Amino acid sequence: MEIVGQLQKQYVDFINSLFREGYLDDQYVQLQKLQDDSNPEFVVEVVSIFFEDSEKLLNDLASSLQQQVVDFKKVDGYVHQFKGSSSSVGAQRVKNACVAFRNFCDEKNLDGCSRFLNLVKQEFYLVKNKLETLLRLEQQILQAGGTVPLIE
Amino acid sequence: MAFEANKTPDISSESEPTGRIFSRIFDFFNFGRKFGNQRSNQDVEKEEIQYPSPLCLSSSYYSVFVVRLAIMVMLAILIGLLTLLTWHFTRVYTARSLNTLAYELRHELLQRPILRMWNILNSTVEVATSHVKLSEYVIRRYSKPVNQAQQVELYDVMRDVTWALFASRRALNSITISYKNGFVQAFHRNHKSNNTYYIYSDLANYSISGLYGVNMLSSHQGWNDQSIHNNMSAIWYREPLDPVSGEKIGKPKKIPPDELINIAGISQVPDGTASWHVAVSKYTDSPLLSAALPVWDPSHESIVAVVGVTTALYSVGQLMKELVEVHSGHIYLTSQEGWLLATSTNTPLLMNSTTGPKLMMAADSADNVIRSGSECLQKTYGSKFPSSQEVHIENARLGNQLYYIDSFFLNLKRLPMVGVIIIPRKYIMGKVDEKAFKTLMILISASLCIIVVGCICVFILTNGVSKEMKLRAELISHLDARRKAEASSNYKSQFLANMSHELRTPMAAVIGLLDILISDDCLTNEQYAMITQIRKCSSTLLRLLNNILDLSKVESGKLVLEETEFDLGRELEGLIDMFSVQCINHNVETVLDLSDDMPKLVRGDSGRVLQIFANLINNSIKFTTSGYVILRGWCENLDADSNARKLSTNQMDSWWAQKMKLKRQGWHGKRSSKKDNKIILWFEVDDTGCGIDPSKWESVFESFEQADPSTTRLHGGTGLGLCIVRTLVNKMNGEIKVVKKSGPGTLMQLYLLLNTPAESTKQQYLSNLEQQNLTVLLALNGRMTRMIMSQWLRKKGVNTYEASDWNQLTQNLQELFKVQGLTQNSLSKPEEPNLESSIASVLIIIIDIGLLDSSTDMWKQQLDVLQAYFGLVKFAWVLNHDISKTIKTELRSRGHLLMVNRPLYKAKMIQILEAVIRDRNFQLQNNVNGLPTTVVERQHHECLEIDAIHTTSVSSDDSDKSEKVSYNPISALRDAEKSSEHFSEALYLQRVIRSNSSSSDLTRANLEEDASDMDGLGQRRIEEQLWTRSFPEDQASTHSYKLVNERKSLEGLRILLAEDTPVLQRVATIMLEKMGAKVVVVGDGIQAVDALKYTSHSNEYRKESLLIDGNLRTTQTEALPYDLVLMDCQMPKMDGYEATRAIRKSELETGLHIPIVALTAHAMSSDEAKCLEVGMDAYLTKPIDCKRMVTTILSLTKRIV
Repeated sequence: MEIVGQLQKQYVDFINSLFREGYLDDQYVQLQKLQDDSNPEFVVEVVSIFFEDSEKLLNDLASSLQQQVVDFKKVDGYVHQFKGSSSSVGAQRVKNACVAFRNFCDEKNLDGCSRFLNLVKQEFYLVKNKLETLLRLEQQILQAGGTVPLIE
Repeated sequence: MAFEANKTPDISSESEPTGRIFSRIFDFFNFGRKFGNQRSNQDVEKEEIQYPSPLCLSSSYYSVFVVRLAIMVMLAILIGLLTLLTWHFTRVYTARSLNTLAYELRHELLQRPILRMWNILNSTVEVATSHVKLSEYVIRRYSKPVNQAQQVELYDVMRDVTWALFASRRALNSITISYKNGFVQAFHRNHKSNNTYYIYSDLANYSISGLYGVNMLSSHQGWNDQSIHNNMSAIWYREPLDPVSGEKIGKPKKIPPDELINIAGISQVPDGTASWHVAVSKYTDSPLLSAALPVWDPSHESIVAVVGVTTALYSVGQLMKELVEVHSGHIYLTSQEGWLLATSTNTPLLMNSTTGPKLMMAADSADNVIRSGSECLQKTYGSKFPSSQEVHIENARLGNQLYYIDSFFLNLKRLPMVGVIIIPRKYIMGKVDEKAFKTLMILISASLCIIVVGCICVFILTNGVSKEMKLRAELISHLDARRKAEASSNYKSQFLANMSHELRTPMAAVIGLLDILISDDCLTNEQYAMITQIRKCSSTLLRLLNNILDLSKVESGKLVLEETEFDLGRELEGLIDMFSVQCINHNVETVLDLSDDMPKLVRGDSGRVLQIFANLINNSIKFTTSGYVILRGWCENLDADSNARKLSTNQMDSWWAQKMKLKRQGWHGKRSSKKDNKIILWFEVDDTGCGIDPSKWESVFESFEQADPSTTRLHGGTGLGLCIVRTLVNKMNGEIKVVKKSGPGTLMQLYLLLNTPAESTKQQYLSNLEQQNLTVLLALNGRMTRMIMSQWLRKKGVNTYEASDWNQLTQNLQELFKVQGLTQNSLSKPEEPNLESSIASVLIIIIDIGLLDSSTDMWKQQLDVLQAYFGLVKFAWVLNHDISKTIKTELRSRGHLLMVNRPLYKAKMIQILEAVIRDRNFQLQNNVNGLPTTVVERQHHECLEIDAIHTTSVSSDDSDKSEKVSYNPISALRDAEKSSEHFSEALYLQRVIRSNSSSSDLTRANLEEDASDMDGLGQRRIEEQLWTRSFPEDQASTHSYKLVNERKSLEGLRILLAEDTPVLQRVATIMLEKMGAKVVVVGDGIQAVDALKYTSHSNEYRKESLLIDGNLRTTQTEALPYDLVLMDCQMPKMDGYEATRAIRKSELETGLHIPIVALTAHAMSSDEAKCLEVGMDAYLTKPIDCKRMVTTILSLTKRIV
């Protein structure tokens, strides 16, 4: 019980810090709310889909930016999609980076796009790291026989 | 020609400045080239650095400078050349003609003395020749003088002959005859003393033989000058003669030989021919010209005598002097050797030397001019004087003056002479030179002026050019600035796009939280009312927020007004209700005064219309501290046709109206094809505030403009409100202005041009009020409300009394009951006797709660007083929002159940009247049935709290649900919101009833009775809905419905989700499934279209089979595989817009319409417009808000559920 309590506290602190630092937003809580007995693994599922999808998108983005002639419309499409998926998971910082990224796409600014691709990547890996940690903590709590505390 | 030779130095002197000019031009070209180089350098720099404007400008300045200079220089050169040429030509031609003239003159001048000279020579020769002839003749006669006497005779004859010749020629100086024997006879004329002398030698010494016996050759030697001069032995005599007659006038005198004149001797005629020479004599100061001729003997073998003739050249000199004096010039003649013969001056021509006078050279002349002239000639031509040639020297400088020197060679036989004429240039060319100088000066000054003016012109012109360049540069920079500004405004709109979402989200949260709070059970009534009000206010705030976010749209003219039907009156009532809450703290009355002819339904953008009035009323309230704010409205119909219709509708029965309504509902689908009637609605917002200065009446509508600078400090606000109002009013084809009003405050007048549905009905008020025999006592403390209400009621044929305070009320009551007292004997037994009269007349007291003295406990006593009339009159209370609960409960416990909230307006009044009439009818019916009315029953009938909220929900619910489905998709969203409002209101009602729970069962029972009893009454419908609100079962059902909303509200719905992002796919699926919907997911637009196509084809078959039923609608509903499509806008292969178009196109064949909801990450309303344009029904933004999605889906699928 002691361990569970400790883990729960750790979990709450961690997730609060994520919210405070803006890695996550309300949408993540929405996700958590959607998770119930019928979909016990919903959050994990969605987040892992997000990871896969994002990796694919980032690769696509990188390759389209390396083309001789960069098709900014295409890049814009990718970024838009990335923005949609990140906002659905609640990865706020990635979403914000995507918003700024799109401005450069509109301007057809290749330098800016490359810079923002790196930024988006960086933000994505950061949030990926954080989310993985978070999910691991959840797993640990569940294994220890506790329940994941709900965040309001 | 010498002229041409003279011209060469001229040209060379001219070519010097020309050369200078050329070199200058060359310099300028170099200069220009230098700058050109610089400029091209700058061009290169410009391209490199990318800051083009300043360098480009400076280079252009340089080029302008260079061009300007070049133009000026060219101009100067041109004008200079022109001047020089003009001067040159004028001068050259005059000079040439003058020169020619001068030449002629000089020639002529010289000709004359030469002619004279010629004459002199000729005459001399003539004399000599004739003398010779005569002498020969005489000598021949006396050829052989034999004696002395004969000899003497000969000499006498000779003397006479000689005299005759001498006398005939006045110009002769002397004539001499020297004989062979040495005898000499001579006549001499001294011109100075005008004496004439005869000179002869002593005869005695000469032998005659000496004359003869001559050997021609030997004697030849003997004949020499020495024989005359050295013959010292000879004695010379001089005899003065009368110059005219030749008579002797004196004694002959002996003279010494050295005083002799020149006697021509044999030596001068050595070869026997005539000889010439220039001699000098001491008697004349001018040279003499002497000729000698020999006299031959008859045999022509020997010379017997020599005749000499001397002529003075003095007269030539005189002539020359006369000729030249006028021209102040000089002429002189010299012999070929240079000896001066004659001059035009008085200077001596002879030099006195020890040996007597001698001829002098011209160079030694005493006259300066002659001397320097001859020197000049000498210098130019040296000693080699070009004989037989003429010499002309122009502009010879002698002393200080310029002279023309011309010399002519005069080739006289044996005496070649040279004539020189020296004329000062000034005399001939003086005027010309002067004129030329003046002309030159004038030309130069004129050309200078022209150059200056030209330069100024050039400067001005180029200045204009450079100004233009400057302007152009400015323009470029302005364009730059504008581009930047556009970029920044782009950023602004981006910002708005991002912010709109950020701003709306917290508001949505607030509203959501309020909804949750409303559904909480543990709230008191007052808290509940407050929360409801908060909920209302926050939706208003959200609406305002949206409006502000759309302001950029308004300003850019992109605002598109909705066209939906809405009940204007009800909306305005809601607005007034809202503002009256704000006015509680102020001592301000808010009054709504809409005329009866206002159409019930109008088409337009309700949100914008309300925004107009909200802004105006808000403004009025802000500036009004006491008094009232009135919103007046009336109608002006454009169509005469619809006017007629209106008249008819006035007389229509209520059932007809109902029928019309049904009909309209049926037609809703085809609404767009209908012809609408335009009406002008006039409104006035009248307040008693501080007013606006007339000078500001126009400017208050400008952006950020406030009537008084202190406004912001006192009242806050941005000054945007009225600007938005005017923009919106203009957008609705209306106008707004401030109108003069009597008394303090502001009167804003505006009209809007709105459409009304073709068969719109006017608000159906009780048309038969006068038949009801009602009496109303308005006990209200708001003056304006009272006045307006009483006016309206009187117009409707209702007796009205007014009371403004408690005392007046009691007074009025007493008076009224005195009148009624005739039929009502006492107050204690009201039931039986007043039945008849009460049918005839019902007294309604509408009493403001403010009339009670709530500060002390007086109000209880006041209620007690009123209690006395209870049952005789109907009480309707007008409540304040802040009325204390104790008073309310007290009122309720005393059976006063007819209550309305402030403010009182017509709709509420009508409700009160209807309730009263209905109650009376009910009573009446009971009486007819013989059933006594119980207090309890009556109580329940009157258990009404007519509230704004109720009326709102009533009217929105008054049509059945199918009507709502047929609404415009845009309004669907709003409707959804509204319906959620209804839920909360329903809850509120539930509470009201719950608080009276003891009687709720009875209420239901009564209601059921009512429903059967009061069929066919005009007001049936409204009443029913009023009661529906308090119907517990209905309540329960709506409440449970709301709960379902939370959990399984989408039960049974089949939804097609077209979304490419896996994450969203998953999230949306789970969300929808949680709500109980069945979800099919497709990855892109093509799949979505396919999924729908397949099923719609299969439907057709089914549809046909079911058509027999004639129930097409049901068939279609069943046939559709999905109830709704959620469509992401950006998808690979085919995006949401394309897919929607495709779906709608395929639907044209089948006549189906599947609701499509857009999902997009954009939050701007332009995207919304795009979505709706392609045929989508609604619009959701990402991330998906669960609640919003559910309400949207429900509003679109309601007809199916």
